[in-house]
Amino acid sequence: MESRPLVVVGAGVSGSAAATEAAKAGVHVTLIDENPVPVAMAGLNVPQFFGQRFSGDLRDRALMLERVAAASEAVTEAKAAGVDVQLGTCVWGAFRNSDSSRMLDGPQLGLANDERSWMIKYDRLILATGARDLGIAFSGWNLAGAVGANGAFWLMNRYEASASRRMVVMGAGNLGLSTARMALDRGIEVAAIVDVSNSVRGDVALRTALQREGVKLYTSHTVREAVGRCGDIESVVLVEIDNNSEPVAGTEKVIAADTVCLAIGLVPNVELLSLLGCDLRFESGLGGYVPDRDDWMRTSVETVFVAGDVAGFHEGMVLDSEIARNQGRLAGLAAAESLGAIGKDEALARRADLQAEAVDSASNEVNSNWASWLQSLVTAGGPDIFVCPCEEVTCAELNDLHPPRRLKWEAERQSRRNLRTLAKDSPADSNQVKRLTRVGMGYCQGRLCREQVSMMLAAETGRDVADVPIMSYRPPVRPLPLKVLWPREEAEQVRRDWPKWFSPPRQVLG
Amino acid sequence: MPVVSADVVIIGAGVSGLTSAYFLARAGRDVVVVDKGIVGGEASGRNGGMISERTDEPAMIPMAVEAIKLWATLDEELGYPTEFTQQGRLQVAVTEKDMDDLFSERDEALRHGLRADMVAPSQIRDMIPGITDRTLGGLFFANGGHANSQLTVQALAWAFQDLGGRLFQNTVVTGIQVDSGRVTSVETSAGAIAADMVVGAAGPQTALMTQLVGVHVPVAPARVEILATAPVPPLFDIALVGNGLYGRQAASGNLLFGGGAHEWADVDLATDPDKPNTPLIRNIARRLADLLPGQADAPVIRSWAGVVEQVPDMMPIIDILECPSNYVVVTASAHGFGIAPATGKAVSDLVLYGETNIDIGAFGLNRFSDIGPDWRAELGWNPIPPRF
Repeated sequence: MESRPLVVVGAGVSGSAAATEAAKAGVHVTLIDENPVPVAMAGLNVPQFFGQRFSGDLRDRALMLERVAAASEAVTEAKAAGVDVQLGTCVWGAFRNSDSSRMLDGPQLGLANDERSWMIKYDRLILATGARDLGIAFSGWNLAGAVGANGAFWLMNRYEASASRRMVVMGAGNLGLSTARMALDRGIEVAAIVDVSNSVRGDVALRTALQREGVKLYTSHTVREAVGRCGDIESVVLVEIDNNSEPVAGTEKVIAADTVCLAIGLVPNVELLSLLGCDLRFESGLGGYVPDRDDWMRTSVETVFVAGDVAGFHEGMVLDSEIARNQGRLAGLAAAESLGAIGKDEALARRADLQAEAVDSASNEVNSNWASWLQSLVTAGGPDIFVCPCEEVTCAELNDLHPPRRLKWEAERQSRRNLRTLAKDSPADSNQVKRLTRVGMGYCQGRLCREQVSMMLAAETGRDVADVPIMSYRPPVRPLPLKVLWPREEAEQVRRDWPKWFSPPRQVLG
Repeated sequence: MPVVSADVVIIGAGVSGLTSAYFLARAGRDVVVVDKGIVGGEASGRNGGMISERTDEPAMIPMAVEAIKLWATLDEELGYPTEFTQQGRLQVAVTEKDMDDLFSERDEALRHGLRADMVAPSQIRDMIPGITDRTLGGLFFANGGHANSQLTVQALAWAFQDLGGRLFQNTVVTGIQVDSGRVTSVETSAGAIAADMVVGAAGPQTALMTQLVGVHVPVAPARVEILATAPVPPLFDIALVGNGLYGRQAASGNLLFGGGAHEWADVDLATDPDKPNTPLIRNIARRLADLLPGQADAPVIRSWAGVVEQVPDMMPIIDILECPSNYVVVTASAHGFGIAPATGKAVSDLVLYGETNIDIGAFGLNRFSDIGPDWRAELGWNPIPPRF
């Protein structure tokens, strides 16, 4: 198996900076990025909420590779510094030994492109895996044209393959305003920006510029529904809300649009950190579960470092890419130092120009805003909106712990059970609720529903969302076809010694 | 002084503990179930859901047959769904050795008066659309089936509560008080529970639990793995075994298949065992794609692992300890799910009457009288040493 001294996952601002910094320190660096993602994966809303709003260009692998490579100066710089850049390659698994798994001869990553998968070993790993779109249910969000801010951004910017023509943006923070800005710059009309808050939270200059170009802002409003035909969004119904996030009857406004963009928040992509057993904690001001890390971006696992949005995202980072870049450089220096490429003194000297506030990501908590959105959308859209669009689990079914609808199970005893009764027996646990309702079990691997399931559990059972355990992550963290995940070259010994259930009882691998 | 008391305290809210609890509560006993985690949080809620007549292990046939009878009406009786389906079990052969095994298993089944039919490759292709052309033949058990393990454990727990049973989840057993050869109370993180009878249904923790009363029972934990694809169109409702895998298509359309090497592990009484997946899932994927080449494009969306337990002869233990004489040991040796209703019935009978009509003759503890404390090392069943 191939072994690399330093692997950096994610070639965004922070990952590219990390790779470049480590390469300049003399480390042989491998920088892996999944862009462009295969069209089949994009169709499953992985890794971002693309909402089927991509053009046919996304099917052209060569064109996409060209555009992705051209879109990033930071990647060009990394290449110039001698970094081995592997685009179109996703990391679907991360494995290391633990108490009950001792067979590996070193930590490994599972990699794949659109045709095959393979494993590599590493000495040090920097995860710069970014953040993903926060999903919050509204009526019609299962239709084509409901997208997320990152999904829209990737399509508009990285791939130049957006099929949106007229967009309503949900969220008037920096994330929403900058998404609207990008849309206008790409020739996409922005019909409205909506926020449940009574004021615009985002940057004043950005807002003023948008308003000057005729973009309407609706504060104290929510989305009642996205209305579609043949599975495609055609219009959006907004409604005013009162101080209790309740819709005000008679204030509905119908706006023609083919795209509704959820730009309420982003969630750090911690799945690989979770697989590696890095300590995670809930930090509302940083988008949810984030890794414990020190000011060198070292995690609790000594071979693993983090940088950028995955280390914690706040809306200040949307307008200031220096934060992610500096985190990347710090992680690159720390990894180089721990590999012995540079000494401690040199690492300290090289970080001298990195400003102290670069790693200070304090900001306001976001969960109360997310909770207001969720409450208003559920109240306005009704209890039958899908929390989990993949498995089609509604809000009401989640609260009632309804068995999967296809079982057609109706029994009096079952109807007495719900989230609240479950919480009386044991603290609300999203993994248990997932098993009972199938929420989060779909092909998007729970990306669109994790946070709101936790929020609904918290709200319904009177807990703080920070106390709801994380819904578990399991490999592969990308949906890979069997024929991609399988090993092309399977060791003869594995084939020969493959046991039946505990036959032979002796452990055959290891 | 114990703050809680019960007729029976059951340690372990896995499927064996919960079926035992359900039948005892149904018989009017006051039962408390204690678990360090949530109901079915470990292997009982993480297994493939296979239900068979266990013709591979003739001593288990009577019990497995009894279990299938109980499965047939279980969800109706409990009032909660188990997703049980009984469209049969098909074991397919892809090697000559597999064929030999199928013939001997068929003979065993017929000796026990069970329905078991050899099927030709052409019939197999009708039963399992898209299956490999490489099958040499198959063995079909009309009575086999499968259920959803996650729904089943919760169904049992809820039905048990509906009968007045008490369930203490996230509660760690810290000690067991014995006086004059009998357990008097079970000490837990939530206080002591006085008990007339104790059922130790602690799965991989079985040996650690009996050590608390000074009894050595040979049980070793092991970690095993399984994976799931995204839903594919309905193909088959039969439990399928072959090419080194076992599995099913769930009602939701997902293909769930497990198999491959297990890894011996260690557990403790207080924490959830660590249970990661390993790159073995790639090899499982390969075997599944080889078995069902028509589904090679199906995306794998999840995998998981579970910690199960084994004893030296790979058969269940259902027995009452000699001392303390009111402690029932039950473990099903990584076959617990399918036979669980019968396990629960047998344990309930033992508690209520000291005996049972279900044939558990082969599952006594006396069969281990010659097994010493170093048995795991002797069999090579210890975890490999940590490498780094």
